[in-house]
Amino acid sequence: MLSFKFLPSFITRHVLIALIIGTVSGAVFILFLIEFDHFTSTEEFCTTCHSMELVAEPYRKSSHYLPASGVRASCGDCHVSEGVLMATWDHFMGTKDLIKQLFGPDYDDPVIHNLHLPDAAFAARKWFLDRDSATCKRCHVKDAIVGDRPATRLIHQQDAKDKSCIECHINLVHRKVPDQRTFKRDKWHAMIEKEFNLNVGEANKLLNQ
Amino acid sequence: MLKTRFISRLITIFSITIGCYQPLLAAKVELESSNWGKVEGKACISCHQKASPGINHQWKNSAHSQANVNCLDCHQANEDDADAFMHEGEIIATIVSPLDCGRCHETEFKQQSGSKHSRARESMKNLMPNVGQYFGDHADPEMFCSNCHGSEVVVKGDGTLDSAGWPNNGIGRVNPDGSIGSCSSCHGRHQFSKAQARQPSACTHCHNGLDSPDKEIYANSKHGQLYTGLQSQMNLDSDQWVVGQDYFAAPTCVTCHMGATSGMQSNHDVGIRDSWTLNRPLSYKQSLVILESGEKIELNAEKHDPRKGETINMSDGRSGLVKAVASPEKRRKAMTNVCLECHSKNFASSALKRFDSLVELYNDKYGYPAQQIMYELYQDKVLTSNPFDEEIEFTYWELWHKQGTYFRHAAAMGDHNGVWGKGANELATQFYGKFITQVNKLVGKKRGEELLAEYLFESDYHQWLKNKETITPELGVEKGKSDALF
Repeated sequence: MLSFKFLPSFITRHVLIALIIGTVSGAVFILFLIEFDHFTSTEEFCTTCHSMELVAEPYRKSSHYLPASGVRASCGDCHVSEGVLMATWDHFMGTKDLIKQLFGPDYDDPVIHNLHLPDAAFAARKWFLDRDSATCKRCHVKDAIVGDRPATRLIHQQDAKDKSCIECHINLVHRKVPDQRTFKRDKWHAMIEKEFNLNVGEANKLLNQ
Repeated sequence: MLKTRFISRLITIFSITIGCYQPLLAAKVELESSNWGKVEGKACISCHQKASPGINHQWKNSAHSQANVNCLDCHQANEDDADAFMHEGEIIATIVSPLDCGRCHETEFKQQSGSKHSRARESMKNLMPNVGQYFGDHADPEMFCSNCHGSEVVVKGDGTLDSAGWPNNGIGRVNPDGSIGSCSSCHGRHQFSKAQARQPSACTHCHNGLDSPDKEIYANSKHGQLYTGLQSQMNLDSDQWVVGQDYFAAPTCVTCHMGATSGMQSNHDVGIRDSWTLNRPLSYKQSLVILESGEKIELNAEKHDPRKGETINMSDGRSGLVKAVASPEKRRKAMTNVCLECHSKNFASSALKRFDSLVELYNDKYGYPAQQIMYELYQDKVLTSNPFDEEIEFTYWELWHKQGTYFRHAAAMGDHNGVWGKGANELATQFYGKFITQVNKLVGKKRGEELLAEYLFESDYHQWLKNKETITPELGVEKGKSDALF
């Protein structure tokens, strides 16, 4: 029998067993979270909802999907924060999207999807801005941006020195949505109505259903 | 009451008289300089001198830059504007429309509004609905016409400008803010150089080739000859540019059609001094009618004689109250005013008289008979109702639009060899060699003779067709040998 005499007296055998079980299961849980965050950040997972397939279409034509370098950014690389705690938090918060997908409007319908898209874009831009474009900076380092023209480097080093990536770089990956401050919902609706052969005014009704 | 009206008329007449003889600078911007030089706009340069150095250099060389007018002063937009977008924290628009330029350049904006130039797109659509579609691209006729006439710029629901209509500098462009026209059609952005806009190339960028061959015609005219030879004496950079005072070597397009003279101000309604319309199947003298609403309408002066205070009906069904009328005579007087800076009265009036008689000759000899015969052919059902599906339709189209246009424009600007070569010579070849031959082929000898008798032989111009004159050396038969042939 091992002697635990070198341990303080309040650590009894039971406490020790509990500690070991706790540590192991905690480690397993963390590992699980890491794996869970990793898996739930993949394009494969995200597009299990059909509505996400609709945002993935333009993504698959974008330079983030097909960069010359071959470094592909998947959904979570941009939309889920770095670090297991923040990543888990983001996924936790993301469950509201899942609830909406299950009980809210029919986002799988391309019309409904496109009518809600601007609000989703505005929310995503705010998310990026609140985090100082942290997920962009996983791959992009301002000091290392060179570009094809000398101006690109100079602008990033001088003019954009105190700016966050998302302040300038929007509409890179998904369907173009204007900035919220100049967004005109009636024009957006007219475009969607034309695109899907809807009657005038139908978009508004569908959005408010 | 009567007395008040009399006095108010007196004041009007007085102010018009004074207005006509005001000094002679292009209109100065009269706004306080506190209206521009927006602080936020100064930040644009730092990036744009790197990102778009070309534009930045152009602006730096401009009078705008010297007057502290910066990017934001012109490009700033309201968030409600259809084409507004966020850029580096500012709400801006790509297109700087005449309305935007008019924030400072009020006089030019007013003159340009409703001018012939600003109606370039509308009139093309009304007067030549088939040309773009049939000769251009059926799916996208805009591609061929709107480069000069102006596109309709459409802002898509995602805030971007539809590539069908933008980029475009056409002079009758329909802008997202509802204004019509494009200042940069003539004034290359972002330098907005006075010298550039005063040169013929500002205009001949569009006014060349088939539809308005003014580049060639001006270049071949005496005026063009002098301009090319003496370009260095044109004082093109001068702030004030009054013909006879600031330059005298040669007139450019600007000089005659919009430039200032010692007794007349410059005018951005570029068609205002044109007493004839030269780009229709038949030319007519035109009155420019200015309505109380500010709208301007060109009317055929032979058919309409609008007077101030009258209500007239417009082509779109609305009616308007006439504020002022520039009759063909008034417009001719304005044009003559320019001539007199270099020429004597007699010289000028003789040259213009010759121009008039050549336009009338075109009308009477070719334009009118051909138009009437075409009408008869449609009436007789010899031609189908489909436009441009028969040879003679193309022949007729070219007759007035190609040879007829060249002839009349050459007559206007004194391209003497053009009046003959590409004008009269090709007109006659087209008319007698193609049009009349095709008419005879289409309707047969009997009906052909009827049509010729009715529309040609009434006038002296065509009597030679009846004369059996001897074949001459022009046709390859030497003198004295023709008798043996017939």
